[in-house]
Amino acid sequence: MQVTLKIFRYNPEEDRKKHYDTFTLEAEPTDRVLDLLERIKGNQDGTLGFRRACAHGVCGSDAIRINGVNRLACKVLVQDLKTRQVVIEPILGLPVEKDLIVDMEPFFDHYRSVMPYFVNDDPPPAKERLQSPEERERFDDTTKCILCAACTTSCPSFWVNGKYVGPSAIVNAHRFIFDSRDQAAAERLEILNEQFGVYRCHTIFNCTDACPRDIQVTQAIGEIKKALAKGSLD
Amino acid sequence: MALSRKVGLLAGAKYKGGGPMLAWALHRISGLGIILFVTLHVIASFLTQQMGSDLGISINIFYESIYFQLFIVFCAIFHGVNGFRIIVLDIWPRLIRYQKESTWLEWFVILPLYLLTAFIMIRRFLAG
Repeated sequence: MQVTLKIFRYNPEEDRKKHYDTFTLEAEPTDRVLDLLERIKGNQDGTLGFRRACAHGVCGSDAIRINGVNRLACKVLVQDLKTRQVVIEPILGLPVEKDLIVDMEPFFDHYRSVMPYFVNDDPPPAKERLQSPEERERFDDTTKCILCAACTTSCPSFWVNGKYVGPSAIVNAHRFIFDSRDQAAAERLEILNEQFGVYRCHTIFNCTDACPRDIQVTQAIGEIKKALAKGSLD
Repeated sequence: MALSRKVGLLAGAKYKGGGPMLAWALHRISGLGIILFVTLHVIASFLTQQMGSDLGISINIFYESIYFQLFIVFCAIFHGVNGFRIIVLDIWPRLIRYQKESTWLEWFVILPLYLLTAFIMIRRFLAG
């Protein structure tokens, strides 16, 4: 089948404003959007800029807007699009460096701000820090984040104010806050209780829909809000 | 130089967030509608009762018109029901898993409530 891709273009060395280029190519229903982008770059326009690495939904490099919604280009098949007219744009709320490539640094700054690492000052045990299956289950969902930024850049609160830590940082804070072995939950909760913390979330749910790992992002944020309100993690 | 991170109203509105995003946008719009109604009411009352001004009567005519009343009734019903939905989800975060269903349920409550109210209002308006 023939597919038409309308792709957002911006070259900082030549353009002052964004524009769109249209490409038409043959595609199989089982082709991924990433395959189409690769084919355009290889055969039609080598200057097209986009990120990709593993191409299997694990590295989170190729988050883009496909027909107006955030998705990983490597996880969306042509047959899933239900149309042969595809609009490809960069994710919103981060500075566009070239075509579909955005500056991810503000996103990672927020990620780093929530202490996304294990904290336990007790001397390490001889073997391992034990945890029951129930305790592990408590934060299982939020361990799946691949930092693709699809959730954060789908959030209108983040579009309006880039200081908001965003859903992804909160998800990664949740992963450690509810880990029974970690000892820095109170510090992370304090960070998220700030002006640009969890209360910037207005339960819009774009993040949950955008997450390529099906993480219940809004639920994780809600659990942190509740922990802050109750003053306990139970 | 990189393009600015700013997201315009149009670019944001084009994002296909679906029902929950629409509910969020309508919650803001209906909140503004309620503020507009209360503000107009306070100004009209003040001008009429304290100043004896005709401007107050003009504002009264505007916000008591059937079109404005239909808009305000929608705002009040939507804002109330949607606000209740958000409170429930905030208190029981585990229910957030069913957020799409909660949005549908919300419309099942809002639409009959609003349409019935609008029907009664329009019937009275037409009857004079």
